[in-house]
This record gives sequence, structure tokens and C-alpha cells, in this order.
Amino acid sequence: MEKKIYILVVEDEPEVLDSIVRDITDFEALFPIEMADTAEEARELIRSIIDEGHSVGLILCDHVLPGDNGVELLVEMQNHEDTHHTKKVLITGQAGLQETVRAVNDADLKHYIAKPWEKDKLVSIVRTLLTDYVLEFETQPLRYMQVLDGERIADHIRTSGKLTDS
Amino acid sequence: MSKMKLTGLILGLIGFTLPLIVSFPGLSLAGHFAMSIFLLAAVFWMFETIPIYSTSILVIFFQVILLSAEGFIDYSAIDYSPLPYTQFIATLADPIIILFLGGFVLADASVKYDFDKSMTRLLLRPFGSRPKFIILGLMLVTAVLSAFMSNTATTAMMITVILPIIARMEPGDPARIGIALSIPFAANIGGIATPIGTPPNAVVIAALNQQGMQVAFSSWMMYALPLAIVMLFIAWQVLLRLYPPAVESVTLDLSGKLKKSKNAIILYATFGLTVLLWVTEGLHGIRSSIVALMPVAVLTLTSVFEKQDIRKLPWEVLWLIAGGIALGISMKETGLAEWMVGAISWDQFGYLMLLAVFGAVALTMSNFLSNTVTASLLIPLAISLVTSGLLDGVAGMLMLGLVIALGSSFAMVLPISTPPNAIAVSTGMVQTKDMISSGLIIGLIGLVLILVLSVIYWPFII
Repeated sequence: MEKKIYILVVEDEPEVLDSIVRDITDFEALFPIEMADTAEEARELIRSIIDEGHSVGLILCDHVLPGDNGVELLVEMQNHEDTHHTKKVLITGQAGLQETVRAVNDADLKHYIAKPWEKDKLVSIVRTLLTDYVLEFETQPLRYMQVLDGERIADHIRTSGKLTDS
Repeated sequence: MSKMKLTGLILGLIGFTLPLIVSFPGLSLAGHFAMSIFLLAAVFWMFETIPIYSTSILVIFFQVILLSAEGFIDYSAIDYSPLPYTQFIATLADPIIILFLGGFVLADASVKYDFDKSMTRLLLRPFGSRPKFIILGLMLVTAVLSAFMSNTATTAMMITVILPIIARMEPGDPARIGIALSIPFAANIGGIATPIGTPPNAVVIAALNQQGMQVAFSSWMMYALPLAIVMLFIAWQVLLRLYPPAVESVTLDLSGKLKKSKNAIILYATFGLTVLLWVTEGLHGIRSSIVALMPVAVLTLTSVFEKQDIRKLPWEVLWLIAGGIALGISMKETGLAEWMVGAISWDQFGYLMLLAVFGAVALTMSNFLSNTVTASLLIPLAISLVTSGLLDGVAGMLMLGLVIALGSSFAMVLPISTPPNAIAVSTGMVQTKDMISSGLIIGLIGLVLILVLSVIYWPFII
């Protein structure tokens, strides 16, 4: 079975969730997108993704959620080996300084996107972070070249020797 | 395990067992074991049941066990004197492997100091801004680099150059496809120009060496470089006709500086001197594999190339080549190759016909298989055609070798044909169908040109 890299979007407002997913839909061909509206649902999704042998490459997470908040979820993921390497992004209007600092220090937050966001910026952040993830953890990054940062992947092939003449 | 791999595993085991239970008339006992190894290797290489370099290692392993004087089989009662096992493991340090090692060290050091990128920027400058000439420039630079570095790494580097160009062009411009195809094609073609250009050359040259034929670096270039140049121009023209550029001018960002650190300078000097000594081998007579030790020594003693760099060398490619060389040894020593070619009555073929058959088979096979594997499977048969007297002479052997090496490099029809092709298709700029049509045209023209050279050029300079 093929190992897939998932994108997880956690957001409690349906319209906002839709709009995020619509903006990053170009990645879906290679990176299946899963959606959750609470931290609890996100945990269940992560568990089933990991159980099936796949991985979560990127999480785009709102902060204010019913139940546990986004930063708590991210810190928890950071402390768990299955999701430690997941690239973590907060996409929110309401995370205070203290919580944001916690996300940076304890969850290795890769990006803070303030609402409302620009589509191009979001796409570019997702592209960069997924490229990071693929270059770090995939042995065959070539197949992701088309939707990710092709130049970086090509340069990685040039320097890493992952692909050689045969 | 995929169905493909499983089929390969089953067929490979059947192939391995067959000569052990069936007795082929006219073939020695050792020949039967050699056939077991040959069939196993051929099937595993074709189906990629295990990585192709593992198959190569397996070949050497089985040879030591089944065919060497120190192995498990007692040949004392039969008329066959087994080779010492050192002969089989020595393929890992064959002169051609050392030549490649030198090439790998130079290439990896160049990547480390971005020498490949700086060279590209420098070499592309004279080509202006007209798309037609930019494509020619890209192809020439790719070919020059891939003649000395790996075709794959060269392609990957050139892709980083062309992606920004393509991104600035209109989405409907056919030249986007042309540019994306020009890189892998030029890399495949450039690989034929020197002995270190691509691994199939190594397998062929090593096999010729074992027949006592030294192929000098400069001689190989005399045989193959003219063809590479002509093929580049043809490929350029084919791509221009199929994908005519829609715009008059394209901007090329050639900014960036040559690194000038002490280490970088040492690298440039070593690179220059090594290549100079290689291409002038015919004048001074120092063998290219001996010259190859110089960059390895200089770059490591100056710490230009460090321990972690040595670890990163593509060692599996050297193993792959060594397995190919070893397979040839056992097929020849046990009489297997001669027995196999004896099964077909070649005398009905004319000489040119024979070259055409080997060229066409090499071209076809390596579109689906690794180029090195293709050369490894074909060269022992070709060599025994000559040594068994079916074909005559040194020139005949050399030309057959060239036909096999060049034929396998001209296979560029599919994404799986070569790693450079795979990279180009992965960019998403090229569809497989584009690659098939242009790759087929270029491959067929290449095959015809190889045959033309074998009539009007090679016989007069060999």
C-alpha cells in the first residue's frame, strides 16, 4: 500500500473551513486533505491516519475551538512521536501573545497566519512547508515535484544523490 | 510486494533452478552454473525484484560460491579450471571502476562548491535571448556537463535553471515542452561522449579491456564525440519543429558568482587538470584510470572533499557496474556466452546486419531497463561472437561494443527509460506522449547514425 502524506485542517466555522480547503485544493491530488472542527475530532483523525500507516505532513489549525484549543492540540502533537515532525501552522484571529509564544516554543510552530489571509500567501506557505517535509522524510521526492517547489526538489536531487544514473 | 516483483521473484528462481536440473548438451558443468546466475540476474534486473545494484552484488556472491576455485563446487574431476575468487571480487576495483570513482569525486565536489551551476551560467551567456538559441545553449551545456558528471545530477541542476524560464512563458507556448524535453535528451546524448559519461560505457570498456583491448579516454571520445555533437543538433531541430517557440525573446537569469574560496580554487584547478589529462591520453599515454586517482588524492588530502562527502558518493552505481563486469567474466570463462551465441546461425547475417540487430536490441531493451543492465546483458554475447570466430577482428569487437553502449544511451522514449527522463516528466511540464513521439524520432535517427558511422567512420580510425 502506498504511504500518503495528509494535510489536516482544524477549524470550527464551516465557511472558514471550506474556504481554507478551497484555497489549498491544488495540493489534494498528492496530499489528501482531512477536516476536523474540534481538537477531539482531529485526534481521532490523526490516530486513524497513523494506524493506516500514513503520516500527517501539515496541520493548519485554528486556535479558538470548542473544547481544547488549537495551541493545546499542537503542543500535544509535538510531544507525540507520530506527529512530532508534522509541520504546524496556526491560522487564527484570536490567539493571544502568551499562547502564540507557547506554540512557538513548545510546538515548534512553523507559521502564524492571521485571519483574514490572502490565498497566494497561504498557498505559498503550504507549498514551502510540504516541500520541507517531503525533502526531510521522503526517499522519492520526485513524484511531488509537480505540486511543490520544483526548483528545491530538483536541487535536492542534485545534491543528495537520492537518484543516480543507472 | 507488487505483482511485478513477485513475478520476477518466481521467474528468477525458476531461471536459477532450470540449469541445475536440466542438462544442456554442449555446455559444461560450470556453464550450467553460470547460466543459473545469468538467468537469475537477467530476470531480477528486468523485473527489479530487488534493487538493480543488489542483483549485481548477488551475481558476484554466487560466482564466488559456485564458480571460483575457493567455492563450494569441486571442479577437480572435470575439464574446467575455476578462476580464483579474487578475480570476481576484483571487479570492484577494476580500472574502469577507479576511473568512475575519480569522476564521481570530481562531480560531487563540483556540486559541493556549486561549480556545475557557475559553469552553466558562464557557458549560457553567449546564447542571447532568442528561445531557439537558448534551447541550443541549454542543450550544449547539459551535454558538456553530463559528459563528465552524472546525467541525472546534471538534469536535476538544469531543471532548476529552466523552471524559472518556463514559469515566465505563456502557458500555451509549445516551447515549454520543448525546453523541458531538451534537458534530459541532451543529458542522455552527452553521456555517450566520454568513457565516464554514463555507466553503460564502463561496462563495455571493461569487457573490451578483458579481451586485451585498451580503450583510451581520448580514443573513446574520437569514436563517440562526433556522434554526440551531431545528435545534439538533430535533437535540437526535432524539438524546434515539434514545439516551435511562440515568443521572440526569453529572459534568462544568469546572475550569481563563481565561488572563490581556497577550496573552490583547488577544485577548479584539479578538475581542469584531470579533464585535460583525460582528453589528451592519446598524447601522453598515462591511463585514464591512473589519472583518476589524482583528483581523489588531491581533493581528499586538501580536505576539499571530506569524510562525509566520501560517504555520500554513489557507491551503488559502482557495484552495479562491477556486477555487470563480473557477469561478463563468468559467461566468457565457462563458455556460456559462446554456447549461447552458437545457438543462432549468425553467418546468415551480414556484418552490418549484425550491428543493426545488436543496436536495435540495445535501444529497445534499455527503453524499459536500466542502460547499464542492458549493456551488461548484451556485451558478453557480443564479445563471444567475435572471440568464437563468427566475426573477425579487433575493429569488429570494438564496433559491436560501441553499438551496444551508444544504443542503450539513445533510449529516451519513456519516463522510465532513464532517470533524466523521469525528472523531466515529474516537473509536470511534459506529458509522456510528448516524450514518446520525440524520443522515438531521436532514438531511431541515433540508431541509423550509429550504423552509418560503423561504415564510413569507425573502420578508418580504429
